[in-house]
Amino acid sequence: MAEMSLIDYTKFRLKPNGEVREIFKGVNRIHILSCGKCYQKFEEENEEEYTQLLKILGKEYKKIAGYTKIDFLCNNFLSKKKILSSDLSNCDSVGVISCGLGVQFVAKLLERKPVYTLADSVPQSGNSTSEVGYHGISLEKEKCAGCNQCYLNLTGGICPITDCPKSLSNGPCGGAKNGKCEVNPELDCAWVKIYERFKKQGKKLTLESVQIRDYSKPSLELKSDLSLQNQTLRGEGFYGGLYPLEKKEETKDKKIENFPEPKTAVIFLSQHTGERAKPLVKSGDKVKVGQKIGEADGFISSPIHSSISGKVISIETRVHPVSGRKDLAIVIENDGENKFDPSIQPYNDFENLSKEDLLKIIREKGIVGLGGAMFPTHVKLSPPKRIDTLIVNGCECEPYLNSDNRMMIEYPKEIFVGIRIVQKILGVKEVLVGVEDNKPEAIKSLSNFLDKSSLVEIVSLKTKYPQGAEKTLIKRILGREVPERGLPLDVGVVVLNAGTIFAIYQAVVKGVPLLQRVITVSGENLTRSGNYWIKIGTPFKDIIECCLNKGGGERFLEEYELKMGGPMMGISQESLDSSVIKGTTGLIILRKSLVKVSEERDCIKCGRCVEVCPVQLYPLYYGFYGKKGDLEKAISYNVESCIECGCCESICSSKISLLSFIKKEKEYACSSNKA
Amino acid sequence: MLAVQIKPEEEILPKISGKKLFIFVCLGCQEVYFPREDVERFINNLREEIVGKALLDYLCNREFVGEYVKGYSKQIERANVILVFSCGVGVQVVSSLLEDRVVYTGCDTLYLNGFQGLTSQEFNCNQCGECYLNYTGGICPITNCPKSLLDGACGGAKNGKCEVDPEADCAWILIYKKLEKIGKLDILKKILSPRDHSKIITESLSREEIER
Amino acid sequence: MNFSEKLKSGKFLITSEVGPPKGINIDKSLDEAELLKEKVDGFNVTDLQSSVMRLGSLAVCHLLAKRGLEPIFQIICRDRNRLALQSDLLSAYVLGIRNVLILTGDHPVLGDHPEAKPVFDLDSVSLLKVTSGLIEGKDMKGNDLDGKPDFCLGAVVNPGADPLEPQLVKMEKKIEVGARFFQTQAVYDLKKFEEFMKKAEQFGVPILGGIVILKSSGMARYMNEKVAGVSVPEKYIKMMAEAKKGERAKVGIQIGAELIRDMKDLCQGVHIMPLGWERYVPELLKASGLD
Ligand code: SF4
Ligand code: SF4
Ligand code: SF4
Ligand code: SF4
Ligand code: SF4
Repeated sequence: MAEMSLIDYTKFRLKPNGEVREIFKGVNRIHILSCGKCYQKFEEENEEEYTQLLKILGKEYKKIAGYTKIDFLCNNFLSKKKILSSDLSNCDSVGVISCGLGVQFVAKLLERKPVYTLADSVPQSGNSTSEVGYHGISLEKEKCAGCNQCYLNLTGGICPITDCPKSLSNGPCGGAKNGKCEVNPELDCAWVKIYERFKKQGKKLTLESVQIRDYSKPSLELKSDLSLQNQTLRGEGFYGGLYPLEKKEETKDKKIENFPEPKTAVIFLSQHTGERAKPLVKSGDKVKVGQKIGEADGFISSPIHSSISGKVISIETRVHPVSGRKDLAIVIENDGENKFDPSIQPYNDFENLSKEDLLKIIREKGIVGLGGAMFPTHVKLSPPKRIDTLIVNGCECEPYLNSDNRMMIEYPKEIFVGIRIVQKILGVKEVLVGVEDNKPEAIKSLSNFLDKSSLVEIVSLKTKYPQGAEKTLIKRILGREVPERGLPLDVGVVVLNAGTIFAIYQAVVKGVPLLQRVITVSGENLTRSGNYWIKIGTPFKDIIECCLNKGGGERFLEEYELKMGGPMMGISQESLDSSVIKGTTGLIILRKSLVKVSEERDCIKCGRCVEVCPVQLYPLYYGFYGKKGDLEKAISYNVESCIECGCCESICSSKISLLSFIKKEKEYACSSNKA
Repeated sequence: MLAVQIKPEEEILPKISGKKLFIFVCLGCQEVYFPREDVERFINNLREEIVGKALLDYLCNREFVGEYVKGYSKQIERANVILVFSCGVGVQVVSSLLEDRVVYTGCDTLYLNGFQGLTSQEFNCNQCGECYLNYTGGICPITNCPKSLLDGACGGAKNGKCEVDPEADCAWILIYKKLEKIGKLDILKKILSPRDHSKIITESLSREEIER
Repeated sequence: MNFSEKLKSGKFLITSEVGPPKGINIDKSLDEAELLKEKVDGFNVTDLQSSVMRLGSLAVCHLLAKRGLEPIFQIICRDRNRLALQSDLLSAYVLGIRNVLILTGDHPVLGDHPEAKPVFDLDSVSLLKVTSGLIEGKDMKGNDLDGKPDFCLGAVVNPGADPLEPQLVKMEKKIEVGARFFQTQAVYDLKKFEEFMKKAEQFGVPILGGIVILKSSGMARYMNEKVAGVSVPEKYIKMMAEAKKGERAKVGIQIGAELIRDMKDLCQGVHIMPLGWERYVPELLKASGLD
């Protein structure tokens, strides 16, 4: 790694001792809130300022009635919860150790209590004409004062506003000695630097025209507009989340087509949350389309069916696309006869089936959540609590993917029938179909079939990732907060993916088990991107062969990144022998970037991960303690609540592979829970 | 946080006309602040030859840019001008890494309230180095009053609104009300001005660098 | 002939400096200046030099003008924003001031009120441009003035700066926006000064070389170490070091005179900065043959 230095941009320091003592003279019982600091290398969790405060106070420390450390105190949303839940009843005032932002926020929040600041902000700009300086989302020495009339093009890329204490924009003042600034000899003269930079470029310093800075820039209006826009976007619907590039144009208008049947299908026995199914066939057996070849093992499990007709050639381990580990699969050779299993019979009188019968069909036909999580649907539909609302999830907030979108466009009628079936099972009247507003066609197509008398409502949602996650969707549509470690049913809601609803329709009305699903194949340089009905068990190699001109040759995985699912939550594939499972929403094929930056770097406490985590976690700790190997500590920050949406990792300014730490920690938490 | 705006065409086009360009686009602050579409449009409308383009986030991180500079060295070699779309920090980092190359920015940068915190918000802090909040009921007189008055209102407020920006509340009226609410009006007697402006210079220079 | 006309005449010019006191007792300074009335072509009045609070330049210039001396009003950008700067220039004109020397100014942290807020709304180049505008009858925003002032505008340059190039670029810029003469930082190293003059000649604007009388070898060393663009040659330091206490002024004057004599052929005049030694200026002029 290149020799680098991280500048400590901590924004506050304790006030001078005398001033601190003076403040304490005026209080009797004070609660101390201390910010965990930002923009410094995360080296250890320390409470340096607080310790120092105690030292300064001597005996007076007894006046401290309580102490709370809060990370990123200026994160109004999270900090508010924390402050209001700490016990402030026995104090007459609150002392804050943070920069001015934290203090002002607390003072406003606790309007009726005197709030004291025990710290002073540390100036960042180093320059008197611009009090405020910004260091980017990094800890480099370059700064910008946001003058809104960038001079860098005239100065060889060196900022005269922040680097020159007089902010001279027309050349040096002439006071530099040995290249050092006259105001502070520790600084290099900005204009000598500029001169030298030009020399290196083989150019001469020329002052093109007389620069006169416009202090009325930027206008107050522009600033408040942008600021407001930013705040609304951030808070849109639910806390956290991101606005990744959507990249849906490529396949959004492509009709769903049938993908050629695989010559050999590799059907995993684990295609659902819970226990792996038990094989019902053995090598050499003949199987038909829709024949059950794996039996559910317990309540939280699901049966597996053959998607083609042919001969079982082996039951062996293959690389599973989710775990990346070898897992049991039934390998079937296609005989091309496409013979259907006799069990596939339409239920003509499905309207008259009982709730129990319906649930049995759904279970027998191997229906699981098709949004990616693959939770057995019959379990979800047998909630131990009363449910008042069904939410149909048509968000598909992952970039690139259009499978649900196309389903909603092409099969609206079927989806409504599916909804009716689920309504019956759950006994709910109210149904909300949440669709992101980047899918106007789907909204239109569904609306055409909307039965006015039913209580089904289509809700168009402003696009934001991960809106499609159950908890965020519930918050967004109903305003209900699913409790930490809780489930949707705790707030009376069941959420089902639009594709799953279609699968329910297929199972109940047509009697067809889950044999195929719609998958978006998209990415870069594809000759045949699109939305396809693809048989479960179709090897990835077949798909790449068909959709990428030059096919999946030897070096495919060196040149391309293959992700099952979308780019955010999708899982990178290491082997082309893996195959389509029930949870395969898409296959994304992207050229590997020319540049690979390493993913292990120090956290700089920029707070971005905290700001985007929809579950309101503090993901920086997962990386920090994960790297240290202190998994217990990571668990204490509630890692089990993480929904693995990937927001934190995707925004991390230090490109720390937070998700891989999180997965390790969750696994550890899981195993220690069991033990 | 910063917000980035694209520079007026008449300012940037003459600088790059007829040149071979290598373009860096930062996506780091894309979340809300970066005019991604404007930049795309601008680039697509360019008539100049573009020998290469790198999109990355956190252009302000020297290490990342360093990797890109290596990865794209051939294209960069062929360019006469490196054009950068990012905030001022990103541009400076690129130009410090490509010292002997002509690096231009296509953007102007401004900051939003509370930008030195973690997100744009209603509070702002000018990092004056001597926090006055203890005397003002936690309402910042430096940033909320356009004149940064320290010893009370100027007298220009009308119906509680600031004379400079009638959209804004007069900071000193807010302060008064707040102090009244917490029963601390006597604090107002304290004379707070003048400010020590030398702190901006002296304190911001005393930062230590931590070796990575 | 007033200063502006003399500039045009090509005569070798001599300017000196009046440093306003910290306080209001100004008579001594004025009297000292008056002694030089016939010998000197203009008096710079410094504007809160070195960021030390003092009596203002504008008032002192006015008093000099009243006594029939030719003041050169120094105005800096540290303490006034563009409104005040323009206004003070108009004031200067109605108070009888015709020459203005425009500088950026030192930073307040270097002076006796380090807590002060520096302004630097404009800098020397932009203020020169603005002043030229006033002379044309327009304020900075293009509004018409009711009556135009007329000034002879000057600026400064540091011939010993390293690197020199940026200084030259800026000098050219200053000329472009209205500077009609330059005064320089103190010169001791004639070779360097000659090189500078060779490069600056092309601009065709009169340059007055700066002269500071050495007071001691300590002062010389201090300047070498701290002051931008100043390098006192070892031989002068030695002369000062060897001088007896009572003789130092004499030696300093001797050195100054030598420099002035040599400069006569190099530049268009000298600018003497007595820094409290106003009383020795007549002697210096005499010794250098300029009397
Ligand atoms: S370079 Fe600027 S725009 Fe890019 S990530 Fe850094 S701070 Fe944001
Ligand atoms: S010149 Fe550019 S880098 Fe410097 S403060 Fe202005 S916008 Fe920022
Ligand atoms: S992956 Fe987990 S920790 Fe990270 S943002 Fe998503 S829910 Fe939060
Ligand atoms: S986004 Fe990355 S660098 Fe920033 S606080 Fe989170 S873990 Fe640390
Ligand atoms: S900006 Fe926020 S996180 Fe950083 S010191 Fe201030 S209050 Fe704390």
